[in-house]
Amino acid sequence: MNNKYKITILAITIVIIFILFLRVLNSNKTYQPNQMIGKKIPEFILEDLFNKNMKLDSKILSEKDFVVLNIWASWCVPCQIEHPFLMNLKNKNKINIVGLNYKDENANAKNFLKKNGNPFSLIGVDKKGEIAIQLGAYGVPETYILKKGKIIFKHIGPLNEDATNKILELKK
Amino acid sequence: MAGYIGNLTLFLSLIFNGFLIFSLIKGIKNNNFKELKTISFFNDSIFFLLLISFLILIYCFIVSDFSNVAVYQNSHTAKPLIYKISGAWGNHEGSMVLFILILSLFSFVFFRTKVIEKLKFYTVFFQAILILIFLIFLILTSNPFDQIVPKPLQGLGLNPILQDPLLAIHPPFLYFGYVGFSLVFSFALAGLVTNNFDKLWSKVANFWIILPWSLLTIGIGLGSFWAYYELGWGGYWFWDPVENASLMPWLAATALVHSNIVTFKKDKLHSWTALLSIFTFIMSLLGTFLVRSGVLNSVHAFANDPYRGVYILSSILLITFFSLAIFIVKSPKKFLYEKYYFFQRDNFILINNCFLIFFLSVVLVGTVYPIILDAISGKSISVGPIYYHTILAPFLFIFLFFMSHGPLLSWNKEDKFLQIKNFKIFFPISIVISSVIIFWFFNYKDIILILGLFFSVYLIISVLFDWFLQKKLTIHFGRLISHLGFGVLIFAIFVNAYLSKEINAAMKVGDEVKIQEFIIKFKSINKIKKENYEEVFGNFLVINKEKQIELTPSIRRYDQPIQFTSETSIKTNFIVDYYFAINLSEFEKEKIMVRFYYKPLMFWIWFSILLIAIGGIYQTFRLKNEQ
Repeated sequence: MNNKYKITILAITIVIIFILFLRVLNSNKTYQPNQMIGKKIPEFILEDLFNKNMKLDSKILSEKDFVVLNIWASWCVPCQIEHPFLMNLKNKNKINIVGLNYKDENANAKNFLKKNGNPFSLIGVDKKGEIAIQLGAYGVPETYILKKGKIIFKHIGPLNEDATNKILELKK
Repeated sequence: MAGYIGNLTLFLSLIFNGFLIFSLIKGIKNNNFKELKTISFFNDSIFFLLLISFLILIYCFIVSDFSNVAVYQNSHTAKPLIYKISGAWGNHEGSMVLFILILSLFSFVFFRTKVIEKLKFYTVFFQAILILIFLIFLILTSNPFDQIVPKPLQGLGLNPILQDPLLAIHPPFLYFGYVGFSLVFSFALAGLVTNNFDKLWSKVANFWIILPWSLLTIGIGLGSFWAYYELGWGGYWFWDPVENASLMPWLAATALVHSNIVTFKKDKLHSWTALLSIFTFIMSLLGTFLVRSGVLNSVHAFANDPYRGVYILSSILLITFFSLAIFIVKSPKKFLYEKYYFFQRDNFILINNCFLIFFLSVVLVGTVYPIILDAISGKSISVGPIYYHTILAPFLFIFLFFMSHGPLLSWNKEDKFLQIKNFKIFFPISIVISSVIIFWFFNYKDIILILGLFFSVYLIISVLFDWFLQKKLTIHFGRLISHLGFGVLIFAIFVNAYLSKEINAAMKVGDEVKIQEFIIKFKSINKIKKENYEEVFGNFLVINKEKQIELTPSIRRYDQPIQFTSETSIKTNFIVDYYFAINLSEFEKEKIMVRFYYKPLMFWIWFSILLIAIGGIYQTFRLKNEQ
């Protein structure tokens, strides 16, 4: 190949890289976890805490009209505070809640549910906390309302009276 | 007042740099360098002027001269002296001054080495162009001596996470590595332009490649060590884009170190060595761009000014374009028609060069692709450890295998049978040792783990074998120690990855929890007040079988700015680290979040990185004495 062609190709490549990175520079780079609101949940498949053959699959979640996804852990103190609210949502209001067990020991998690009751229809085990990060979580607990796999609402911290009312409102 | 002098010396260095370039162009045009003295004078003055600017900046930090914007934004009177000093390069402006200072330091030292005159002047010329580009950038967009009127009474303080003795020295090491590669870059361009890219070139280049490589190795090691004990997540390498930014030039430079040896010994691979010399520095620049432009969010991203980003981006791409264009036009086209042998040392080096470039591509894609994808489509993908581990691990094993046999091969003839003989020695020994380790310590068998241990043991055995075979140890010591270090590093990384344990719990004083084989007791809590922060210590007792380990992690509350940091407590016995960190719980005042990690062979990870660097430093001193 002629040197002229080589240099032209080089120049074109450099210009393309320049344009690409210019886009990068101009786009807003601050990490805002709540940017996930209005967006589809990331794809994941996690094993269930109690039954290894069951899977918490983002595709199946995306088919459901209304799902509450709760990130929790047995070592998380505020999770105990919000637990009765979750139990109420499930028993009184018949809401489908799935759990995301965040960086936890399976045995501890099971004990926790045995003691406090299990509000979850399925519990994905997120040992390394990677899915929680992808969901844009700040920490535990956090609660997401999914409509057809889209995050329409998110509550940070333990659930309370107001938050549960808001969830019930969204259900309608 | 000091600020004005600093500003003045900065401008003067720019003017002198103009003179230098001008007189070099004149000399090059007329093909005589009679004005050697003038050129040498300009070259030296630039270095000393920049040094004065840098010292003045440090002085401004020491006396807390808040009329200086950089000092105001990054310092505070209540800060200990060492952090006032390190604050000088703990911010964007100051670190750019250091960047340029190192560029000119290398030019200053290089001017005093014995090289063909023509080669020397071209090298200094290219180096001066680099200094020009970055000096203009500094003065236009990030002048370290910008003034505030009226003068504020107090500064904003340095990010507490950066207030750490290690971080005072981590950036200089990293910079000496990064920026140090500029010289071999300029030298390669000089060699190409003057058609002097030959054996002699690579002999001189050897020193200028291995020196920054060793310093970069230490710099990366220090950064990793800091992340390990300061961030409190128990990890030492997160495949964070900023870490990758330093790993990329390291990988390119490692390939360069080896290909340059082939160029020197066999007068081969000229183009490849030249390309790698250029590429290594471009990788350093890419790292600088990623870290400094605000593209990434991290403790390293000081500046968030898009104008700066555009300037760095354009200058880096211009440098890339012109250097590669020079390479295309002038790349040495020597073809040696010699018989190709597979079992020959230069062939094994070339194979491993390919692997290194492959590793580099994986890291490059993993680092840059998500950033670009996010900007173009708004999609966020997370490229995490899983990506790197799954793609890199299998190839690492083959790499280790070639690395084990390469140094035992001859440069000039094929010796297949000797290698088969060696293989028959190494293979059974490594199998025995690695299986003993696996059956002794591990409850489960993972194929990647088995292969990782096997091949790292294989490398260690081959290096030791090589060691005892050498009659003249002094010549080979550098290589042996670096390769040994690498073998130990990979071994330690694998053991650490598979045997580490993590425990999370919420506890209050008096609590006792039993998780896995550990019992953790929270004994007491106490508070102390220091000059620039308040610290709360938790006293914990960890019981593992018969062993009892006391650990005292803490949380610091810094005053200026108000910020909390978690200080880890680590006890090591060279085999295992017991690692403890605590966090405040946001929701309940009484309990605190505790994280306990059991991290085997951490000491060996740090020690092996040190070995790798020592090998390089030894080699540079040996080369210096030879010259």
